[in-house]
Amino acid sequence: MMPARSALLSALAVAWAMSVCLGSVFPAEAQKKGGTLTIVRPTDPVSLDPQLETTAPGAWVYFNMLEPLLTMDEKMQIRPALAASYEILSPTKVRFKLRPNVKFHDGTPLNAAAVKFTFDRALRGTPPARWASLAGSLSGAEVVDDLTVDVMTREPYGPILRTLAMYCTGIVSPTAVQKMGPDFSRAPVGTGPFKFVEWKTNTHVILERNPDYWGDKAPLDRVIFKVVPEEGARMIALQTGDADMVLLPAPAQLAALKRDSKYVVHEVVGGRVVFAGMHAGLAPLDDVRVRTALIHAVDRKAILENILEGSAVPARGVLAPSVFGFKDMQLDKLYPFDRARAKALLAQAGWTPGPDGVLQKGGQKLSLSWLAARGRYPKDGEITEAIQAMFKEVGVEAKVQFLEWATVFTQFRAATLNQHMFTLGWVTSNADADYSLYALFHSKQVPPTGWNTSRYANPRVDALVEQARRSLNQTEREKLYAEVQDILAKEMVWIPVYNTKEIVVTRASVKGFTVHPVEYNLWLGKVWLDK
Amino acid sequence: MLTFIARRLLLAIPVLLGVVFVVMLTIELIPGDAVSLMLGEHATPEAVAKLRDYLGLDKPLLVRYVGYVGRVARGDLGRSIQQNRPVVDELADAWPATLELTAAALVISAALGIAAGVISAVWPNSAFDALARLGSLFGLSMPVFWTGLVLIVVFALWLPWMPVGGMGSPAHLVLPAVTLALPSLAMVARMTRSSVLDVLREDYVRTARAKGVAERLVVAKHALRNAAIPILTLLGLQAGQLMGGAVLTETVFAWPGLGRLMVKAIFARDYVLLQGAVLIFALAFVVINLAVDLAYGALDPRIARQG
Repeated sequence: MMPARSALLSALAVAWAMSVCLGSVFPAEAQKKGGTLTIVRPTDPVSLDPQLETTAPGAWVYFNMLEPLLTMDEKMQIRPALAASYEILSPTKVRFKLRPNVKFHDGTPLNAAAVKFTFDRALRGTPPARWASLAGSLSGAEVVDDLTVDVMTREPYGPILRTLAMYCTGIVSPTAVQKMGPDFSRAPVGTGPFKFVEWKTNTHVILERNPDYWGDKAPLDRVIFKVVPEEGARMIALQTGDADMVLLPAPAQLAALKRDSKYVVHEVVGGRVVFAGMHAGLAPLDDVRVRTALIHAVDRKAILENILEGSAVPARGVLAPSVFGFKDMQLDKLYPFDRARAKALLAQAGWTPGPDGVLQKGGQKLSLSWLAARGRYPKDGEITEAIQAMFKEVGVEAKVQFLEWATVFTQFRAATLNQHMFTLGWVTSNADADYSLYALFHSKQVPPTGWNTSRYANPRVDALVEQARRSLNQTEREKLYAEVQDILAKEMVWIPVYNTKEIVVTRASVKGFTVHPVEYNLWLGKVWLDK
Repeated sequence: MLTFIARRLLLAIPVLLGVVFVVMLTIELIPGDAVSLMLGEHATPEAVAKLRDYLGLDKPLLVRYVGYVGRVARGDLGRSIQQNRPVVDELADAWPATLELTAAALVISAALGIAAGVISAVWPNSAFDALARLGSLFGLSMPVFWTGLVLIVVFALWLPWMPVGGMGSPAHLVLPAVTLALPSLAMVARMTRSSVLDVLREDYVRTARAKGVAERLVVAKHALRNAAIPILTLLGLQAGQLMGGAVLTETVFAWPGLGRLMVKAIFARDYVLLQGAVLIFALAFVVINLAVDLAYGALDPRIARQG
């Protein structure tokens, strides 16, 4: 026993010495060890096929197995993925040259037919893919030759490239889809750096390195995505070493983790803006003076510091800074926290203090109904209550109704909304301003058609967002969106509160990981373990 | 005996039909729609309509009910709305985990609860009795998510003896089973104590003692057997309680059971999946009740003769 062990030890010592020597010659590459990366996150995927799943629990996993034509890097620049190059042929047609010699995990080749198959399945399947609604005017693809494919839109569509770089537009193996039928959604076959091994419902999903990957092969041997629903238990799993990476960590523990050299807190400003929305079609909020007074009444700094505890940044407008077309609305300059100004604006609008401290006009109290869910977005309930209290300070009464999300959602989707205010969040999924400014502020995009829950209507904004949507000149689009945001800043129908941060905590042994501003893009292709 | 069992199982059919109807009606009545929830904020009305049509959700409630019952009669529980996966597969993934956890918790609460209760009853107002009563008060009052987290911190973080969560080895079962068992254990201990105490005051116990039966036998044979009926009733109820009430324990310990599956189904308004899970629960309750009734007969011949 002993000799065998000491032999093993000396072998290890030699191996270690060699790796040290090699390490000094090839500093980074030789040390990039594989191993198994264990990730804990709160929920199991709905499916591993974008056809059925566009939410984060599924996307985190399939993003490493299925690759789109294009991809968005951490700086939000469009990069080629399965497409080697592209050329815009007309306002409704983009030609893609595919990478040669790329194989799906089942050994079949990636070709133009596979791209056409993926888009046909998504856009014309029965039923169509969950992501079909995210894809705007995308209408399909045509095979030109084996490695050339044309992607078409129904009308000129400015965001087309960003749409094709969305996490959920990964190309699937047609052979596997046809052979596996509905089972494909439990074990998808793509071209990515990892391939599927096993999914035990509500327990884990396991992926392993794709040894035939067309690009730099992943250093990791395996990735295990475990389900740990309880936030506290996730953090303990990280501390005991049961997990190497925590998704959606507990915000309250971040400060302590940042001080501890055993862990690394990766964070970046994300794409979601959480806001208190105002119904511009409902008196008294149809008066812009009342709306702007309400913004002046809110102390966003206090909310960010005391409620969000550093897990978010103040919203700088209706879009997140990572979105194409973003313009800083200078909210702190335009609408600083100023109760005196709020009161003055309300007085201008004819509201005078009543006997109970609530403002009134013609015997009507300034009382606002408010619909909110709790736990849909980080701290949404607490924020709503804080703003309610801040409104009270300037004589405005808010009657908040907290309901479960499914119920709240039904009210939002209805053609009429009988609530003055609502707490909501919005993420610009394709990172293009069109996705938000068109769906949220065009007068024809009132639910259930779009998501203009504020019932905002301005013909100039309608014209600008339509023009920007149809233009493929990105410089022109940027200018048009800037003008839209200037107008919106004057006529505010939101109180933008915060912009989410994407936060991932890893043990210090996890190297090569960069957190992406788009929460779904959890890229593990470059991650390695130093342990 | 067999006709008794057969009759009871036949009676289960209207119960199950009723349960399915109530679940369907409830999902119909509460606001929220599975399809628009699934497709999210971005969905166009056409996309929502198409998917509703595809899933048959636009049909009237009664039509869907009859269709569902017909399919279930043929052994087809349908496909979950959200995941498009056979409900049978979903249940087959979660059911063994729930059974394992429930059985372990039931064994712990029965074994420790009865033992503690009997000792407390035989030596009432002793130091052990006081400790057991305090302990059961604690077990009953502490919420399971709190007990669960404390156990994790102590036995997984400070003393690294147990895994933090998940399912796999027998070690994975210990903490969740203990957490889940604690409230039941406390209840069983209290019920056993008072029930055995009552019996110990009966005349026949005095008679048994008077004729010189050893105290050990008095307690085990005369007292415990006669005190067993209320304990058994409680255990039957607890079995159902443990099975259905494990959601929080499952959440804290990342245990892949039916409770979490049902909560997920409710939030997604996935009535097909929910019905499948509820059917399993209803069936389990019927079987447990039947088993308890049969056990009554075995313990007390007078009940068996009536049955």
